[in-house]
Amino acid sequence: MLNLAGMAAEAEQNWPGLVQAWVDRRTPLCELRCPPSEILPEVVHWVVDELLFRFAGLIVEQEPQEWDLRYLFYSIQGPPRWARLRVRQPLDTPKFPSISPQVHAADWYEREAEDLYGVTFEGHPRLGDFVLHDDLWQEAVAPMRRDFDEKAALAERRPDLDWKFRRIVHDPGAFAMPVGPIYSGVTESVQFLLETVGEDVIRAFPRLFYKYRAIEKIAEGRNVDGCLLLAERFAATTAFAHALAYCQAVETICRVKLPPRAHALRVLVSELERFRHHVGVIHDICESTGLSVAASQAAILEEDLLRLSGDLTGHRYLFGLAIPGGLSRNLKDADCIDAVEMAVKILKRLQELDDGLRYSSSFLDRLEGVGIISPGKAWEFGLVGPMGRASGLGGDLRKAQPYASYEHFEFDVPLESEGDGFARLRVLMAEAAQSVRILCQVPVRLEAGDVAVGVSLQSGRALGWVEAPRGATFHGLHLDESGVVLRYRMITPSFVNWHGFHLAAENFAFQDFPIILATVGLSATENDR
Amino acid sequence: MSRWVISGLRQGVVTTCYPTRMETAKGTSPGLPARLTPMADEFGQELVDVCPTGAIHFERGEARVDYGRCIHCFRCSRSARYVLEWESGFEWARFASDGSNFVKGAASWPKAFRKSMHIRVVDAGDCGACLNEVKQLNNPYYNMHRLGFFITPTPRKADILLVVGPVNDHTRLPLQAAYDAMPTPKLVMAVGACALSGGVFGPSFVTGTGVKDVLPVDIEVPGSPPPPLAILHGLLVAAGRKPPMPGQDGR
Amino acid sequence: MFFTVFAVLFLAFSVAGIVCALLSPERGVALSLGCFGGVASVAMGAVGVCALISDTPFEVRLWSVPTVGPLMLSVDKLSGLFLLVSAFVFLATSIYSVEYLQAYLKHFNLRTLSVCYFAIMLAVGLVLSAADALTFLVSWELMSLFGYALVNYQKRDEQSTRPGYLMLVMGEAGFVAVVLAFLVIGGRGPGNLLFSSLRLHSASLGWHARWAVFLLSFFGFGVKTGLAPFNRWLPQAHPIAPANVSAVLSGVLLNLGIYGIIRVNADLTPLATAGPGLVVLLVGAFSALMGIMYANRDNDMKAMLANSSIENMGIITTALGAGLVFMTFHQPLLAGIAWIAAFYQMTNHSVYKSLLFFGAGAIDRNSGTRLMDRLGGLSKHMPLLAALFLAGALSICALPPTNGFVSEWLTLQCLLQSSVLASRSVKVLFALAGAGLALTAGLAVTCFVKAYAMTFLGIPRSNQARQRARVRFPIRLAMGLGAVSCLLLGVLPTYVIPILGRVSELLTGVNAAAALVPPFFNGAPGHSRLPHSFLSDFHNLGAQVGQNLLPAPGLVVLHRGHAQNPVVFAMSTSYMLPVLILLASTLFLAVRFVLARRSKTVRKPVWAGGLASLFPELTYTATGFSSPVRVTFNAVFHPQMSEERLELIAGHFRNSITRVVGEVHVFDRVLFQPLVNRASHIARTLSRMHHGRLNAYSAYVLGTLFVVLLLSRTQVEEHVVLSPALILIVALILDRLL
Repeated sequence: MLNLAGMAAEAEQNWPGLVQAWVDRRTPLCELRCPPSEILPEVVHWVVDELLFRFAGLIVEQEPQEWDLRYLFYSIQGPPRWARLRVRQPLDTPKFPSISPQVHAADWYEREAEDLYGVTFEGHPRLGDFVLHDDLWQEAVAPMRRDFDEKAALAERRPDLDWKFRRIVHDPGAFAMPVGPIYSGVTESVQFLLETVGEDVIRAFPRLFYKYRAIEKIAEGRNVDGCLLLAERFAATTAFAHALAYCQAVETICRVKLPPRAHALRVLVSELERFRHHVGVIHDICESTGLSVAASQAAILEEDLLRLSGDLTGHRYLFGLAIPGGLSRNLKDADCIDAVEMAVKILKRLQELDDGLRYSSSFLDRLEGVGIISPGKAWEFGLVGPMGRASGLGGDLRKAQPYASYEHFEFDVPLESEGDGFARLRVLMAEAAQSVRILCQVPVRLEAGDVAVGVSLQSGRALGWVEAPRGATFHGLHLDESGVVLRYRMITPSFVNWHGFHLAAENFAFQDFPIILATVGLSATENDR
Repeated sequence: MSRWVISGLRQGVVTTCYPTRMETAKGTSPGLPARLTPMADEFGQELVDVCPTGAIHFERGEARVDYGRCIHCFRCSRSARYVLEWESGFEWARFASDGSNFVKGAASWPKAFRKSMHIRVVDAGDCGACLNEVKQLNNPYYNMHRLGFFITPTPRKADILLVVGPVNDHTRLPLQAAYDAMPTPKLVMAVGACALSGGVFGPSFVTGTGVKDVLPVDIEVPGSPPPPLAILHGLLVAAGRKPPMPGQDGR
Repeated sequence: MFFTVFAVLFLAFSVAGIVCALLSPERGVALSLGCFGGVASVAMGAVGVCALISDTPFEVRLWSVPTVGPLMLSVDKLSGLFLLVSAFVFLATSIYSVEYLQAYLKHFNLRTLSVCYFAIMLAVGLVLSAADALTFLVSWELMSLFGYALVNYQKRDEQSTRPGYLMLVMGEAGFVAVVLAFLVIGGRGPGNLLFSSLRLHSASLGWHARWAVFLLSFFGFGVKTGLAPFNRWLPQAHPIAPANVSAVLSGVLLNLGIYGIIRVNADLTPLATAGPGLVVLLVGAFSALMGIMYANRDNDMKAMLANSSIENMGIITTALGAGLVFMTFHQPLLAGIAWIAAFYQMTNHSVYKSLLFFGAGAIDRNSGTRLMDRLGGLSKHMPLLAALFLAGALSICALPPTNGFVSEWLTLQCLLQSSVLASRSVKVLFALAGAGLALTAGLAVTCFVKAYAMTFLGIPRSNQARQRARVRFPIRLAMGLGAVSCLLLGVLPTYVIPILGRVSELLTGVNAAAALVPPFFNGAPGHSRLPHSFLSDFHNLGAQVGQNLLPAPGLVVLHRGHAQNPVVFAMSTSYMLPVLILLASTLFLAVRFVLARRSKTVRKPVWAGGLASLFPELTYTATGFSSPVRVTFNAVFHPQMSEERLELIAGHFRNSITRVVGEVHVFDRVLFQPLVNRASHIARTLSRMHHGRLNAYSAYVLGTLFVVLLLSRTQVEEHVVLSPALILIVALILDRLL
């Protein structure tokens, strides 16, 4: 592994005169400025396959004069480091080389940028019809552009009424089973088109973005406080994690140093949220297999945790707690200790449930060997969170790029290698236990003092990151000097993992599909934004 | 399998006593600010400005809170200068002020749903919280089956359409299709601040200002998200088994 | 008297049909085929009816052939039944052809078809009335040849003639076997080939000869009937044949195989041991099961119907086998019932299968495809066709009150009667056959639910299926005839069974219909043949309820046993029909007038989960529907190769997934391919000897000679021994020189 300075030197040496490198020691980060030519894929290949950085995401920004594309990479081994590839292009030539053939995880980022910004990526074979469905909006609409005119767009709307999705399964008897967007009991609006010839799903195609609310667009022009509401409420089951990532971005821009108590409480609330989220997914898994007693017991635990959150913070989904500069209210030490004790009790019940599940062969039969994602595929699609860790793909931002004083806490990152539904369940169970382990360490770290400091707004760009319950999330923020948001970018774990969802769903029978869907625990709202 | 039977029996009964008596457990509701608070003009104006969704109106020395817009952001309760009283109840459901299929409370309100009601839940761009709270209605704490409420997979069998989310562009047509597919008499219940007013998301070029833009709404359940008990209250109001929140006429 | 008139009429109109086909203008050929064919088949049917009614067979002595003896035609009750059934199919087909053949005008020579059609009609008539082996075999061969010509009528290339060729080859193999069977019967014989002499002579056959006759004839006729495993030609021949030919092939020609089996094994050389009967029973059940499994798998409508014919022939053969076994166990009553069931099933099959083939033909003509994966939604613009096809499908699924139900019920009931047999192993085999048929019946429902639903319901899956088309009168008439017959045969079994009973009486000597189906339901409670106590028991059971109200007997009863312990199985589709109609109309009226007052009907589009539009690619295909069956019986279908070819572009993007499934028919896989492989292996081994050296060949010749000589050394005379020695020497000298 090279250090960042070495990396910069080697990059300039490899591509002399083409790549300019620059190291920011505060983050720490190595920025490589790269021309929008065919060397971009080469550089990406070098960063990912030789330096072993993981692709974090793509941030597109329309500057007054040029397109500014930032490809983010982070290290998951060794000291925390970042790499950033920056590519610019004049506004009138919105064309970039595609890096998806090298880094498949970038596929959807490029499709999204193409759909929302009208920027093309040459070499990407599947552009078009992504976020804005073609049966609602014509392809030419690019809402994220600065000059986007809402009224004109609505007036000139030309839906493609003959839209059909691209079928790739060729067999005389093949057909596509449509599921959704309104299906089953209480479910998010997602559509699945399952190509099949009868029993097994040969190809699963999730049609997402039914819930597209243009959060990134409506965030622009809001102030920091207004944008915070969007950050915490676009995906409410992991509200605190996203709010925290956003706050961290603001704090980085404004160079705020938080009091230790704020850090400790943020860890407490984050882990409480993770615990609750994982119990919720475990409940869904039990319910999908039809094991009602276990499902009910898991539901009781989830409700207990929701009540615990509500009691501790005033809101069952932890809304309104994180603010730039700390927390909006101080939690009493005694309440925190009570909450931790309660969490320990709930964990004990969860572990009893886990024991029961491991003895239920009818339950295990439906999870074991079902919905397998191989480690190789997980790496190819860059899966994150419990879904990636069940397929042997480590990487937890709490360890790799510590934030909010996580470096002071002892915990393990559970890892499984089978990649099937049962491995995902085991990871969820183990992570829930680790969360409680962290929670137990919080009370001793609760120093007396304030939980918030004042923030004086500045202009600048920054990235905030959090290991959200579903995996790594990155919030990029660009503020002007008056604290107005110029660009707000959310890179969410569901967006990454939905991209690899078909890996789990394919080549398994229809009746396994709801179970696989439950075990991956993905959120459409977090993906669609 | 006997293991689960024993384990289930050992769990005991956790179901809430609502609607027979009020539920008093902690953490079941985030509460809402008091609807009407007399206060000085200077504070009142400040209060109006601090509310991000315009839920607070200040008139003649009284700060009025529109529950349909309140999103529990707690900004109005953070400063000691103008703190609003918070009410911890959850019986917030009300009849929609206009556009309802039925004259509210009148004799034309369908009697067919008094004993049992089938619910089709539609996610119209919800953030996940309201949906999760609706899901909690099936858990042993709330167990809505005991009250004769059931979730159905198809709107063909549904009596009431429970809509969460601000109704964004992509879910608008499916939502209308679901409403059209329902047999009459049918009710529409908008759940959550987003479904009532667009919440923090609307209006924008892809999001409207709630369900009433698209469908005639009969019952409104404020809250962001409304806790399960509030949704349960909404269902009971829809079934004609509980009175709506007193004194609320939509504004 | 009537016999002669009708037979002459039949002959005259058939010949006139041929003449007219040759003389009339091309456009009139279809109409002339319809008219002359219709009248000729009515005459043919009249002959059959006469034979069924009259107590003595109608005989015509033809000329006498030297060394063979006299030739003779004779129409007895058995022939009469088959003539009647064939006549029905020919009549419907003739009507159907008037319209159906219009599409062939200008593309194909209708004259050829017409001539072959009448020729095959004559050949069928001749086969069924032949009363000597020579006439029988000659007309049988003619029938095979014209059948081949008809199936291959619309040949386009080598590929499409292969199935017809396979049909011919297998038919000829069967023919050779049948000839051998007759040779064995008449071998050291009576001097002539009349059936009556063969019948007399066969009593003296030993058991070897009997087995030989049985095996040869069962193979020979079984191939024609489409019994497993020699039925691979059938599902291949049907799709290439025109629909009217398919109807004749399924509704007439397959039956003739059954006729042959009965004629030889129940009439000419009645079986003496249970073994052959059990073989027939099991082969029948096996054929039925295999047929319906492959029918489930097939998505070509005509191949599916062909496989379903195999299934039906299997059911008939099972009943036939049961009858043969009962006969050898001296249970002529039960044998009679079994044969009644077999004849009933055969009649039904001819009726509904021709109806279904007509439907398939009409669909094929209007939509240009028979693939169920590409059809769908046809009921919207062809409601009448859909209704008629549905009638056929319900009948073939054996759902009451249709005819299929009656015959399958009788078949299963009579298999259950095996409890009277002494041998335990025979009981087990009967139970196996019964279980096989029960499974078959279930799969048949799956199969025809698929066929109807995928073709007529849902939304069209291709542009062809979207085409609007009118089904013209002749097609509607032909199919309506079939549908009405299905219903009549279903609701009036009490009128049909006595007629069939007369046929089985010819073979068993006992009137089973009278003994087992008591006629006291016909308003004669004190029937002398039944014990009084049984009748009173029965009265208490309520069997006579409504007897005075209904004008016709309607209850089919199988009764066996004693007065104290009557084992009774009763079934009535006749009574069921009015009850069903009553229930349905009451329900309709209730909904219409009582409930409808409070609500109104609103039509809404299909709920598709909130999809903007439901397009055909999103609906189940026939393949998808039958997938559970394919998975369940994977051991039978056993795809030898099943892979998904993945095409990637730009490194990781999937462009297409092509499924390649290699399936070989189970008989090819298990039986024929190993045989062919073994044969070619032996041939390869032998070919090593052919390396072209003259001396080696001489050595083979000599070696063979020596072996022959050694084997026949007792009769060897000296000079014979010497000559090979001389040849050997010459060969050795030649070898040296060369």
